Amino acid sequence: MDKQELINKIIESVIGGDESEAEALAKLALDQSFDPLEIINEGYVTGIKQVGDMFESGELFLPELIQSAGAVKKSTALLNDAIKGDTKKDKGKVVIATVEGDMHDIGKAIVSSLMVANGFEVLDLGRDVPIMDIITRAEEFGAQVIGTSALLTTTMVKQQELEKTLRKEGLRDKYKTIVGGAPVTVRWAEKIGADAFAENAGEGVNKIIDLIGG
Amino acid sequence: MVVTRMGDGSFITMTEEEVQRDVEEGMADAVKKGKVEPLGQDEIEHIVEICCRPQKFVSVEKGNELVLTYDSGTLKVTRLGIPIGMPQILQLYERAFSADSLELAYVHYSFKPIKMIVPEEQYAVAETSLVTTAPLLYGAMPNLPLYTQPDGPCPNAAELLPAGKIEEARRGQEEAAEYAIKDMVYVSSGVYEAGADGIDFDTTAAAGDAEFYATLKATEQLKAKYPEMAIEIGMAGEFVLGFHGQLEYDGVRLAGLYPHKQVKLAEKAGANVFGAVVNTNSSRTFPWNLGRAITFCKACTEAAEIPVHANVGMGVGGVPMVMTPPIDCVSRVSTAMAEVVKLDGL
Repeated sequence: MDKQELINKIIESVIGGDESEAEALAKLALDQSFDPLEIINEGYVTGIKQVGDMFESGELFLPELIQSAGAVKKSTALLNDAIKGDTKKDKGKVVIATVEGDMHDIGKAIVSSLMVANGFEVLDLGRDVPIMDIITRAEEFGAQVIGTSALLTTTMVKQQELEKTLRKEGLRDKYKTIVGGAPVTVRWAEKIGADAFAENAGEGVNKIIDLIGG
Repeated sequence: MVVTRMGDGSFITMTEEEVQRDVEEGMADAVKKGKVEPLGQDEIEHIVEICCRPQKFVSVEKGNELVLTYDSGTLKVTRLGIPIGMPQILQLYERAFSADSLELAYVHYSFKPIKMIVPEEQYAVAETSLVTTAPLLYGAMPNLPLYTQPDGPCPNAAELLPAGKIEEARRGQEEAAEYAIKDMVYVSSGVYEAGADGIDFDTTAAAGDAEFYATLKATEQLKAKYPEMAIEIGMAGEFVLGFHGQLEYDGVRLAGLYPHKQVKLAEKAGANVFGAVVNTNSSRTFPWNLGRAITFCKACTEAAEIPVHANVGMGVGGVPMVMTPPIDCVSRVSTAMAEVVKLDGL
């Protein structure tokens, strides 16, 4: 199999969420001594980007997205192990939570899944999470980004509380913060001093890449 | 300059050309996402004209009035802290607010908690039907997450999916849907037999395709049991989220359906009225959101054989996402829905 044919098959396996096929193709790429970084970028990353586009346009849904993410995660772990020294690159660590008082975690689960699919290490704290818990867990996890979701006009003020508490604790410059949720807007993000606002899961991933250069 | 708003309610000014551009871009977004037909040039110009009128409150020409229905009616007055009973609230809706149908609703507004208090709700329905003449609906939300852990017995898909447990997540949703169907049929039967004219399944599919499936199945079962029962299915959002991804009704995959396809399944299940929802994008302008909402609702109305009543309220139908929906936008959306879409009701 030549390289281009292999890359096409990898993309196909990612879109189809075929974990065993994706993994087998990663092993084949290593057996044939192809550049692992090139295989990751042109095969797996291209595939998961197409999955993200199909998810955004409603052609495939969360369970399929997660299957594809699983396929990418296992295969790229194999290829990553073969990448030597400083060419290996981690995308970054993100802590994500739905703020205290808010029980909505479907949207946040989608964001979390898409971030994992794109190579971020994600600590998903779930829903109804107090601000101090988010900060404590971010400290323990060594996160670079804190993402919060609020689905209610009554709970979005917790995102502001996060910004204030980070400043009070002298931790604000240590993290990039990103906010989202149905009532949340770019103006709200600016008003409370968050680093970014994301309207949907795909934008969330892109904004985090912009924030930390993942 | 035209004074209008962003989708988050803040005031902005635009030129007429900018208003027209945003209406067209909003329409184009609906066409792309929903794969629906674009509006005609005369319809675009009509929306622009409605947006650009200088009056704060705008309305329709005589003869273009719509049927007005209200969801969760009894909750909205009690939220204001006015100490008043449910029958009296609905008398106000009927006699002061010009409502064409009434909706009695319990504060929890979900079928699961209501099943514990059906006899009390039956009393309220009977009492209200004695003092009002408009059609009386009983409204509640299917609210599927109440059947999943930690609030219910079924495994929680929102926790299982990110962990990659896809089959377990799907089974959990299917199990929750079965519980929801039982409660919807039980509560609806009780209030119908107490004198309600029908049921409003409100905020349907908020938890995705399994919740929409449960609503359609409950509708089907209720219509088989009570052929004369009126059923309204009101949606939660414009798009059925594929949280399960494989559920079908009448051979149609539920995930990913937009209003013009949702309404066909509502019809098939036996619904009498469909409440179309189009979400407002709070980062876009009011003209953009209105152009988009009108495009989706027009496609829905054209596909429908039952009446369509668009949701026009906080964060839906083009109305900005603010606690008290601004009347300048609500009246413009209502006017456009009546005159451009020729909708059946709001």
